[in-house]
Amino acid sequence: MAGLLEFDGLSRRFGTVTALDDLSFSVPSGQVVGFLGPNGAGKTTTMRAVFGLTDLDAGSVRWNGVTVGATQRRRFGYMPEERGLYPNMVVAEELEYLGRLHGMDRNSAAAATRQWLERLDVADRSASKVEALSHGNQQRVQLAAALVHDPEVLVLDEPLAGLDPAGIDAIGEVLVEQARSGRCVLFSSHQLDLVEDFCESVVIIDRGRLVTRGEVDELATGGARRLAVRVEGDRQGAWAQGIPGVTVSEVHGGEVRLVLDDSTDSDVVLEAARAAGRVTEFVFGRRRLSEVFREAVGR
Amino acid sequence: MALPVILAAIAVVLLVRLGLRRRGQGRSSQLGGLTRGLRDRRLLGDTGLVAEREIRERVRGRVFRVLTVILFAVVAAAVVIPTIHTGSTTRQKVGVVAGSPALDEELQKLATTVGLPVELVREPDLSAARAALSAGGLTMVVDAGGTILVQNPLSDTDTSTGSRYVRAAVTALGAQQAFAQAGLTPQQAAAVAGGKPWPVESVHPGKGATTTGEATALLGVILIFVVLTQYLSWILMGVMEEKASRVIEVLLATVRPGQLLAGKVAGIGTVALMQAVSLVSFALVLAKVVGANLVQGAAPLVAAATLVWLVLGYAFYSWLYAAAGSLAERQDQVQSFALPLAAPLIFGYIASLTGVSSGSASLLVKVLAYLPPTAPFAMPTLVGFGEATWWQFLLSVVLSVVSTVLVALVAARVYRTAVLRTGGRVRLRELLPTLAK
Repeated sequence: MAGLLEFDGLSRRFGTVTALDDLSFSVPSGQVVGFLGPNGAGKTTTMRAVFGLTDLDAGSVRWNGVTVGATQRRRFGYMPEERGLYPNMVVAEELEYLGRLHGMDRNSAAAATRQWLERLDVADRSASKVEALSHGNQQRVQLAAALVHDPEVLVLDEPLAGLDPAGIDAIGEVLVEQARSGRCVLFSSHQLDLVEDFCESVVIIDRGRLVTRGEVDELATGGARRLAVRVEGDRQGAWAQGIPGVTVSEVHGGEVRLVLDDSTDSDVVLEAARAAGRVTEFVFGRRRLSEVFREAVGR
Repeated sequence: MALPVILAAIAVVLLVRLGLRRRGQGRSSQLGGLTRGLRDRRLLGDTGLVAEREIRERVRGRVFRVLTVILFAVVAAAVVIPTIHTGSTTRQKVGVVAGSPALDEELQKLATTVGLPVELVREPDLSAARAALSAGGLTMVVDAGGTILVQNPLSDTDTSTGSRYVRAAVTALGAQQAFAQAGLTPQQAAAVAGGKPWPVESVHPGKGATTTGEATALLGVILIFVVLTQYLSWILMGVMEEKASRVIEVLLATVRPGQLLAGKVAGIGTVALMQAVSLVSFALVLAKVVGANLVQGAAPLVAAATLVWLVLGYAFYSWLYAAAGSLAERQDQVQSFALPLAAPLIFGYIASLTGVSSGSASLLVKVLAYLPPTAPFAMPTLVGFGEATWWQFLLSVVLSVVSTVLVALVAARVYRTAVLRTGGRVRLRELLPTLAK
């Protein structure tokens, strides 16, 4: 089921705001592709463009070389950013209805609904109204709504937002599984580091433009050497300021992440750290996606 | 004048066929798998699915069930109560002292004129009659000696049949006595008493007695108003809720806006029509059973015209309400559309109601009968008065259908553009560039 979802030169302005600025990238099937960027980067507009929910000033979205239209969209699954289900419909009936709108017959839609509710651990709520479900369970039902018709392409806008770790794992697992079975999976997140675990590759955008894209491993190991250091009694990492050839990339929970110039020896850093207090962590680390983003946009 | 019936029949047949085809599709697609479902997909497929969901969810809702019970109760009351009222005049017992066949005849004749069924009871003497009257066994006593006894003094403002009978008897019997004293022969007395009053002509036409057609038109106009108000508000709120809950994004990712809109309008419309048809059928059957005059004369024709105009009125307004719903995403935003949308509806309703109660179709009603926003009320009213010929009816139908098509085209464009715009109420002005495209 090999396929390719291509975004070609998408541009969209809303009044004076440029939402998309000649944005081009492609998403191959068989991979979980993270679509990353800060809030307001244009992720939602890009995803809405796949489903014709926003007009484009220029550019097109193609699936296997064909411009996406109503016929293609029937085989796509979509989870919008602000969610969207009839709050007062019964969960199972709502999923069946959406399955049928995607072309399934009644029996197949009912069977797929049962299967997905079980897979996502919400089978016991199938007779409840959507509005009676917790946020996490509503999110699972929303994912089921995107999956019920067994789509070739999954476009999920912030599917992990507001979920607890168990919810993130459950949904992440499904995305990986879908990609493994040959689906094209594109999902967005503004929490860049959250998605490293189950993304094979990422597309990072900012202000409607492509910042960078590539395999997560490549991006994480590329660039300068970096160290994660923890010094007891200095959670803010003041000791690391002013070491020549060393830039403080992030300080998070007492861990200071440093980027080293090619010419800088890591021993210099270790000495500076020991001078400041007891060193409890000193690790050569991978580049985080948030660091990839920050370094690419220069802020 | 059989045309309204034919039109109503055609509308019902079309709707039933639509329903059958929809069900048929469901059955046939169950045989195949997903691919077959996709291949078999027609334009009506999605619209049909949307309509099916609307019907299922609406009929299940508590609002629908409560409203249905209330409407059936009100219709039953409107049909049955007038018949109880006319049948409630029980036979009154009138005691006669020293009577004669001529007096009996006179008293019965008066009773027929006034419309009060009486039973004459011979009383041996005045004191026995007085006792029976006090005990309540008699309503009044006529003593041939020249006295009439009643239980309570007559009030000038009492216009009941009983008191009208007493007054008529007092005058007629007094005149009879005067004729006898004047020495008139019974023939001469009869000639004088039988004198016909002069006819009175008025310059302005007065209110005639309400005909059965008018009574049915009144009920019909009220039914149209109640049903339209209820179901159009469902369209308004339904579209707004789809936008507010953002389910619209999920739906429009696979269904075209036009199909979604048409499905909603058709689904809610089917529920409205089913309810109206069952109410009208119920009213007609009940009227037949209790012998109400609703089924007599032009009434069934007016009932058919009511259903035709319910469909046409719904078709005309539903698109407008859907477009208005797509502009809002909150209850308070929707309120600002409610009045301007309802204004022509309420105007047509009030004008037609006034027309029915004034007894004749005013020029205003005759004009309103050709304007699509008010015709759903004014035209059935004219039919009730028997003042609409078949071609006038047809002309109004054609005008309504043509303007419905135009309204639907514009409303669908507004809907398409506005329903995906979130973040506050969409102003029509903002849509003009898109609409002009």
